[in-house]
Amino acid sequence: MSAWLEYKKVKRTGFIPLFLIGGILSAAVPVTNMVFRAEMYIGMSGTPVQILLGANWQLMAMFNVLVIVTGTCLLYHIEYDNNSIQKLKSLPIHEGQVFLGKAVLVVMMYLVALVTEAAAVIFCSIHWFVTGDGFWTELCQNFVYMFIIGLPCIALSLMVSEACKNMWISLGIGVICVFMASILPEEPFFLSLFPFSMPFKILAGTEHAVIYIYASAAWIAVTSLAELVFIKIRRSLE
Amino acid sequence: MNIIETKNLTKSYSGFTAVSGINLHIPKGEVYGFLGPNGAGKSTTMKMFLGLVKATSGSFTIDGKKYPKDRERILKETGSLIEAPAFYGNLSGEENLEIICKILGLPKSSVSEALEITGLTQFRKRLAKKYSLGMKQRLGLASALIGKPPVLILDEPTNGLDPVGIHEIRTLIRSLPEKYGCTVLVSSHLLSEIELMAGNIGILNHGHLLFEGTLEGLKYDAAAKGYPVDNLEEMFLAMIDEDNRKRGTVI
Repeated sequence: MSAWLEYKKVKRTGFIPLFLIGGILSAAVPVTNMVFRAEMYIGMSGTPVQILLGANWQLMAMFNVLVIVTGTCLLYHIEYDNNSIQKLKSLPIHEGQVFLGKAVLVVMMYLVALVTEAAAVIFCSIHWFVTGDGFWTELCQNFVYMFIIGLPCIALSLMVSEACKNMWISLGIGVICVFMASILPEEPFFLSLFPFSMPFKILAGTEHAVIYIYASAAWIAVTSLAELVFIKIRRSLE
Repeated sequence: MNIIETKNLTKSYSGFTAVSGINLHIPKGEVYGFLGPNGAGKSTTMKMFLGLVKATSGSFTIDGKKYPKDRERILKETGSLIEAPAFYGNLSGEENLEIICKILGLPKSSVSEALEITGLTQFRKRLAKKYSLGMKQRLGLASALIGKPPVLILDEPTNGLDPVGIHEIRTLIRSLPEKYGCTVLVSSHLLSEIELMAGNIGILNHGHLLFEGTLEGLKYDAAAKGYPVDNLEEMFLAMIDEDNRKRGTVI
């Protein structure tokens, strides 16, 4: 019910179009790349999914993460603007439930963006490459993996947005985190476990896929716990 | 029977006590006026009732329920409008109420009812951010009244309304106990306004409860203390002035 309520709240904020347009822009990256530079990739060794994601995912993920940061800022901006959060706190609903509802909404929209991007990869694979037997399995594995390792970024970004009353501060922190993620080195390994870095990873060619999945689960658990502590502390300070 | 009772309710911030050990007794099914100058602690007390501010010490019960143990049950039975009306500017008045209606688990008809009571029916499709100040205040009132809760906490509900609106809202508040059987706790810094709505009053100054009882009781009390009783406003000002003098806070 909370997610449905959150969906109703975002009416006319541009939240849904943001994810749809973000997904389309991201999906346009491999298509545009293939239209102009197909010959660079057709001869490469590897499966179509490996080649396409290897060549385009960094930019596609950048779109995704920026959309997540902006979307989460919007979700809490509507609560702080006109003080509607005060009304919400005086209603029989737990703030953690509100957070969860918002998280589910962002996850659903992230899924929509990923499906759009997967459609673009399917199109490019069929149009420019020869797809083998394992194509669909590989595609699903890759996108499910990318979905899972994108979740900590959503949770953390949402928490930052909740903590900052001023949307520009949470947006600024989010953008800094995105750029930090793009400059963080791969070594030492733990640096690549930064929640804003993880959505940039692809399944192909990595030896640490399982570690990233466990790290995602750990980040989600830590963020959920931190969220509960945060609510308690904020309440006691009011 | 008292529906709201507080026991030495206190709220302190670092180096400043907003509410100092007050003992309120708000009778069921009546309009209770909460009176005091700006900064007296009225809003802080109301916020404590809603769990928006945590009490430093003391306790309170609402309809026999204790906070924080029965937080959800208290909030389900309490409609509120605190300080400025809170709303989602991107949603229409009707959509704003639908959100509250869903959280409270009320039937859809309660939205149109609340809009009707506050005179917002014809503006229900307009975005809340495009409402005038008075309409926003009415929307805040509608969100408090939705579902006709047994307890209503209204913090200066006539703020921003024009004289006609003020009269309408006063009449509405006065009629609520009889019409819907609810108890209303309404705050104001104007005794003349409270006088027109409430039977019982509590006067707060610098976080201290100076008086609690009926208006007649207040007049009797004031006469005994030598305050002017012909003009209520003057009497109230004299009480506050005397209290400020005692506390050494007069400017």
